[in-house]
Amino acid sequence: MELFTVELTVVNHCGVLNRITGLYAKGKHNIERLTVQESRDPTLSVIQIATRGDAAVQSQMMRQLSKLFDVKTVVLLNNSTL
Amino acid sequence: MKRSGAEIVIESLCRNKVKTIFGYPGGAVLPIYDELYKNSHRLNHVLCAHEQNAAHAADGFARVTGNPGVVISTSGPGATNLVTGIANAYLDSVPLVAITGNVAVPLLGKDSFQEVDITGITRPVVKHNFAVSDVRELSGILDAAFKIASSGRPGPVLVDIPKSIQTDVCEESEFVSQELFFNDLPDEDLTAAVEAITEAERPLIYAGGGVVASGASEELQTFAEKISAPVAFSMMGLTALPAGHPANLGMCGMHGSQSSAKLQSECDLIIALGVRFSDRATGNTAKYKQGKTLIHVDIDLSEINKNTAADIELCGDVKTVLKKLLLLLPQQFRPQWQKRVCDAKKLDLLPLENNLTPRTLLKTVAKYCEADTVVATDVGQHQMWTMQYFPFQSPRTLLTSGGLGTMGFGLGAAIGGCIANDRKRTVLFTGDGSFGMCLQELATAVSQNLPLLIVIFNNGVLGMVRQWQTMFYEKHYSSTTLNRKTDFPALAKAFGAEGKKVTSLLELENALTTLAPDTPTVLDCQLDMDEFVLPMIPPGGSVQDLVTRRN
Repeated sequence: MELFTVELTVVNHCGVLNRITGLYAKGKHNIERLTVQESRDPTLSVIQIATRGDAAVQSQMMRQLSKLFDVKTVVLLNNSTL
Repeated sequence: MKRSGAEIVIESLCRNKVKTIFGYPGGAVLPIYDELYKNSHRLNHVLCAHEQNAAHAADGFARVTGNPGVVISTSGPGATNLVTGIANAYLDSVPLVAITGNVAVPLLGKDSFQEVDITGITRPVVKHNFAVSDVRELSGILDAAFKIASSGRPGPVLVDIPKSIQTDVCEESEFVSQELFFNDLPDEDLTAAVEAITEAERPLIYAGGGVVASGASEELQTFAEKISAPVAFSMMGLTALPAGHPANLGMCGMHGSQSSAKLQSECDLIIALGVRFSDRATGNTAKYKQGKTLIHVDIDLSEINKNTAADIELCGDVKTVLKKLLLLLPQQFRPQWQKRVCDAKKLDLLPLENNLTPRTLLKTVAKYCEADTVVATDVGQHQMWTMQYFPFQSPRTLLTSGGLGTMGFGLGAAIGGCIANDRKRTVLFTGDGSFGMCLQELATAVSQNLPLLIVIFNNGVLGMVRQWQTMFYEKHYSSTTLNRKTDFPALAKAFGAEGKKVTSLLELENALTTLAPDTPTVLDCQLDMDEFVLPMIPPGGSVQDLVTRRN
């Protein structure tokens, strides 16, 4: 199945990563790669998560992630740009 | 003037128009309870017997009023006891604010006495939660909790407040607000929906909890009449149209009406309003959708295409979308489809028995209810019979555990619902299994002098599981025969309530005409253990698999 990567801008706060990975775990989607970094604005972090799934899984994960109140933006990264 | 965290909690609750809260005190919330003591003139705290029921009571209160219910508990076991209640509110999109105490900040993370990571435990079953780490954040967090719980698709929010934060002080000028990101609703394009509705020959509306949550009952009725479409309901939507309305097909799904199953399979357009296509409502999703166009309206974008792919997506508040659609749609007449709806509805008419059965029991109790009587249920056969046979008249009069299916939900919910509905007569339909889960809460119904009518469908078995064992497990009645010999009327009296055994319709009528006005009454109604909930579409099935009578 296709690997897709989502980039999130989130509040730089304890527990936020757990909230996000919890969504992946709930849907039984294994995380293949994960990076977390403080952004230039120290109140925000940037998270990249790569996981496998078809178009329906991608769309559903993006919509679920967008609902989180700690998440500012959700972007699907093109595989060729990685 | 400096305020303590506990004072800030009280101020925030009052600012958010809270008048009643449910809870149970303990070591980690003593400062808050001390403030509740001083503020009893403006905040009514209902002391429950168990935190789980306190959460269900706050949930029931919220379902009746539409405003967030508030529950408070101490740390550790107090907090973990809330979890089922929070999950229940999450699955049914009920606005709830749960406040827990926790150990003092220096003791966190050290397995201190009565310490649990309740924000970690509840994370998968809350809309959002907060662990307060600074008293200056507390006011902003509580305001955010109320806003999150009640905006968009409602849901539970938990705020965990360590004891030291409750006693820390700060000036109002030091308060910091929370940075949170809310999704804006997109502007819907209604063109495709209007076209699909106009072109459809056999449209069917599938309405759910979103209709009740957005207060769209009137719009739904006008919409159904304008486009000449029948309405099938998920359990959460059932009260959105009065039971007698000609377009009302009752509940759809596993134990839905025959008419809803037949018409759903025959329609060419499904207009889904505030629903999430639960497996209990759809059965086999591929067959469910076959040959039909689907318009899905929901305020939560992630519900659209989650369980069933939509042809036309409309992300928005049901009431707002319906109002706009009504402006764009002309009156439509579909005489052939209307005739088919009338014929199909005749399938749902069954002659009433003369003896005490689940159906005659429900119909008899209904005679003694008003249009605004709040009815709570527990979970199991009695719950399905209530959905099938109780003639609900108004939205927000049904308190039932839809998504989580929580046995034991009913009594707490009935207490909360009764208090929310000006302490008027409130009915709880329950089973002997469900009632056994949380019956200690009778103590609260008595201490609050609530006129609850608790009707136990007592068949001596866990009826729904027994039904499945009969149908799918060769009558292996594994652990479903209770053999308890509990004397429910005597138990009720021991709690200070009234109790009567009911073995016939005559005894039922007699009991209903002599109810005490300010005391809970338990009616222990003796029913046959082998009554089935029918019709039934077995799990994963479709209309072809519909079972209408016992073999």
